[in-house]
Amino acid sequence: MTFRTKLFVIFTLALVVSIGLVAVGVTTGARRAFNQLNTLHSEAFVAQFEREFQRSRQDVVHKVQGIADAEGTVRMAIDLSRPQADVSLYVNDAHGVAESHQLDFLDFVSSDGSIISSTEWPARFGYKMTWVTQPQNWAVVGSFLIKVDTQNGPALGVMAVSTVRVGDKNLYVVGGQRLGKDFLSTLVLPDGMRALLYQNLSPQFDAANLIDQTGPVFQGERFANFITQEQQHPAEQLFKISWTRDRASGEVFHALPLLGRQKELLGVLLVGSSQSQVVTLERQIRMLALEVVALGLLFGALMSWWGAARVTEPVQKLAEGARAVSEGNWNTRVDVRGPHEIAELGRSFNRMTQQLAEQRERLLQAERVAAWREVARRLAHELKNPLFPLQTTVENLQRAKEHHPEEFDEVFRESTSILLSEIQSLKDIINRFSDFSKMPQPELGTVNVNDIVRSAVKLFEPQFAALGRPPVTPELHLDDELPAIQGDGALLRRAIENLILNALDAMPAGGVLMLRTTQDDHDVHLEVSDTGTGLTAEECERLFTPYYTTKQHGTGLGLAIVQSIVSDHGGRIWVESEPGVGTSFHILLPVKASADGIPAPAAPQAPAVVETEKV
Amino acid sequence: MRLRLFPFLAAISIALAAAPAWTARRPRYGGTLRVEIGAIVNSLDPAIAAANPDEAAAKEQIDSLLYDHRDPDGRFTGGAGSGPFLISEWQPGKRLTLGANEDYSGGRAFVDSIDIQMGRTAADRLVALELDTADFAEIAPDEARNAAERGVRVSISKPDELIALVFVPGRPATQDARVREAISRSIDRSSIVNFILQKQGEPAGGLLPQWSSGTAFLFSTASDVITAKEISRQISSTTRIVVGYDLADTLEKAIAERIAVDAHEAGMSLTVEPMTGAPEKVDAQLVRLRMPSPSPRESLARFAAMLDRLAGLEATPIPDDAPVEQLYEAERSIVGSYRVVPLVWVPEVYGLSTRVKDWTTPQAGRAWPFADVWLEQRQQ
Repeated sequence: MTFRTKLFVIFTLALVVSIGLVAVGVTTGARRAFNQLNTLHSEAFVAQFEREFQRSRQDVVHKVQGIADAEGTVRMAIDLSRPQADVSLYVNDAHGVAESHQLDFLDFVSSDGSIISSTEWPARFGYKMTWVTQPQNWAVVGSFLIKVDTQNGPALGVMAVSTVRVGDKNLYVVGGQRLGKDFLSTLVLPDGMRALLYQNLSPQFDAANLIDQTGPVFQGERFANFITQEQQHPAEQLFKISWTRDRASGEVFHALPLLGRQKELLGVLLVGSSQSQVVTLERQIRMLALEVVALGLLFGALMSWWGAARVTEPVQKLAEGARAVSEGNWNTRVDVRGPHEIAELGRSFNRMTQQLAEQRERLLQAERVAAWREVARRLAHELKNPLFPLQTTVENLQRAKEHHPEEFDEVFRESTSILLSEIQSLKDIINRFSDFSKMPQPELGTVNVNDIVRSAVKLFEPQFAALGRPPVTPELHLDDELPAIQGDGALLRRAIENLILNALDAMPAGGVLMLRTTQDDHDVHLEVSDTGTGLTAEECERLFTPYYTTKQHGTGLGLAIVQSIVSDHGGRIWVESEPGVGTSFHILLPVKASADGIPAPAAPQAPAVVETEKV
Repeated sequence: MRLRLFPFLAAISIALAAAPAWTARRPRYGGTLRVEIGAIVNSLDPAIAAANPDEAAAKEQIDSLLYDHRDPDGRFTGGAGSGPFLISEWQPGKRLTLGANEDYSGGRAFVDSIDIQMGRTAADRLVALELDTADFAEIAPDEARNAAERGVRVSISKPDELIALVFVPGRPATQDARVREAISRSIDRSSIVNFILQKQGEPAGGLLPQWSSGTAFLFSTASDVITAKEISRQISSTTRIVVGYDLADTLEKAIAERIAVDAHEAGMSLTVEPMTGAPEKVDAQLVRLRMPSPSPRESLARFAAMLDRLAGLEATPIPDDAPVEQLYEAERSIVGSYRVVPLVWVPEVYGLSTRVKDWTTPQAGRAWPFADVWLEQRQQ
């Protein structure tokens, strides 16, 4: 991942997190506000219900009192106070009076508690309504909630009792209004709210007793647990019901117990607040937040990309400059403008590359001088050896001519022979230098390393068992599955011959020469090991330096040539050695050639032992 | 052959016209008797059966005005035009105008015509009587006292219609005779008479009224709530019993509701439902049994036949010469099964305008005596 991409991702993530936090905060805050609003609505509605309930109770009291004060009722009381009064005359009176006073329930009850006339249960005349006759100041009691028996079953009613006293007899007027769906329909509800009433008319929960302003509530059985709780412990409570899996279907209910005169639970008012609007608003806010996030992300991504590009462009230029420098383009300069730190870094980079180029130039000069000095030293050293005998021979000839003319001929023959020999040595030296300078480029073809190894070893077989020196035992461990490689067979054979020759020189007391080939990923691995004297670490470091040699008569060009051949094949060579134990040369040659015809460079491989690579 | 004495009395009355004390009572010919009834008669053809009991009763009354003779089986014969009135105008289901038959063998009726309006509600009929726009109208028994208090001239017959609770055979809820007994004992018949019927009628313990059989006092009419509760506890049935009543009959409805209250007090669950046809969904139903004649034997035979059909009874045939004891035994046998629970005897109540003279309340099973009344002429 590039620096620009990383910067872009970081900017974008920071933006996403920021916007996400804002969206979550807004959503959470909105939900909290809506819930508070719902609670306020619910409380307001409960207060409204209580006001309506109170008003309804007062209304009932007034109506019942009005009936009791009416002339017809007083006449009825007077008539019924007479001995042998005919009660049957009034059996149908309650219905008309109740209708005219808009009461759902009305009973005229005689002094002994017998029902004279009843609206809610007309056929119940003659039966007792004993609770009315209990000593009680009904005027003080006012209205109350009670379970009323009707011909259609029990019902909840807000009732009041008024007494008409004539002589020592009372006529009780018991009237009231049904607390049911009609009462619920009088309540003004805001959108999303509804009022339910559970009429506690049976010991166990009965869904049919849970009504709204239209009748029994759909899925009323879902309230069973909450109503049962109210039946056991009447108290205000809040609970929530989700009608479907959709959160918007949820409804929060505020339960308000309705108690009778004896504090018994007669009903439960349930004020439901639909979560639909809240959830819908939340979703709208969330959708808006998502749109803002999306737009923000888009804008942020563009800005991040622009910002990252603006920040990383000079860095990228610096990186490209550094890469060019690493590739050897020492004159690379970067164009980073502006007053900020990156520009300063660019200017520093330019100064650095300029200094590096100057230092490299100086170093090359020094190396060239050192190389020439080394060449001169080697040439002087190489040429000095044959020149000295030449000088001595010529001086011997001069001395023989001057002091021993009689021996001059013999001396001349011997001297010319020596001179020719030394001149030949000079020519050999010159030829080796010439060969090194004229190292040819490899001509690639399909070659088998095993074949080359076998051929090279065969060439040296006479020398392995040469007379006058301890034998050297060659051991070949060649991988039969070794793939062919793209390479120059002659050059590779020359390299292997140099390594074998080097090993023979390292084993003057004889030993074992081991050659091993193996396949290593996409490379062919050749190992040439001897059991010779071994090399020190310092020797290993300088081993491939041209003209460096540890041998008395070596030119120091053999291993340099090997390294050159391996390098030209895209391979690599390194040496492992331990003094007194032996030395191993490892060569990795790529199987396939690279696009430019040169075999692809062998991948670096960590050696199993201490490794000393070429310099 | 029916003898009509009124034409002769009318002649005498005319002869005594000079005597002021007799003037108001003197029969006069003429006038139209305005009759309002609740039933709707759609056909006067004797071959076409009435759609409901009300229509059948009204049709029977109209036939008694059109035909001269009534057979023992209740059908009127003698041919069309043989009765005291002839059809002048006929609007099926709405209105029937009858004219006096000048050739009637029993003598011409005093009124010239009878105008019968059908399908009038009880309230409309009562208002018409109060406003004096009707001369004759049926009044529900429970409205009799109210009508009288409102100044309407009321004519009440002897109680000749039995309202009874009949258990539908084969219903599991009432298959146990103890259930039926408990319901029967829980019913407060006196309250029904006093409150619902406004004291018009009698509690019924048997199938025949006291005035007809003379043995009705042997059947208990008092409620026995204690025994009813005891039986209810024993059977401890939770099955709800449904009592049906005629949808158009408010009196039946009130009585059914009272039965439900009484049963409820005795610990039984009983509900009421209106019926529009056959009692398919009810366990018991209220029925009205009108006496076909004052004769106890004839009435009991008719009742037994009807109850045999309604309650699945196998009543003992009642011979023509059955003595009172046998009638009583038959009556007791039917009532003792608790498949039929007599409730109340209800009279026929009629409202009359003050200009209707010489009205005689008809006996059970007898026709309205429109041919015998005359109308007082009033000065405008």
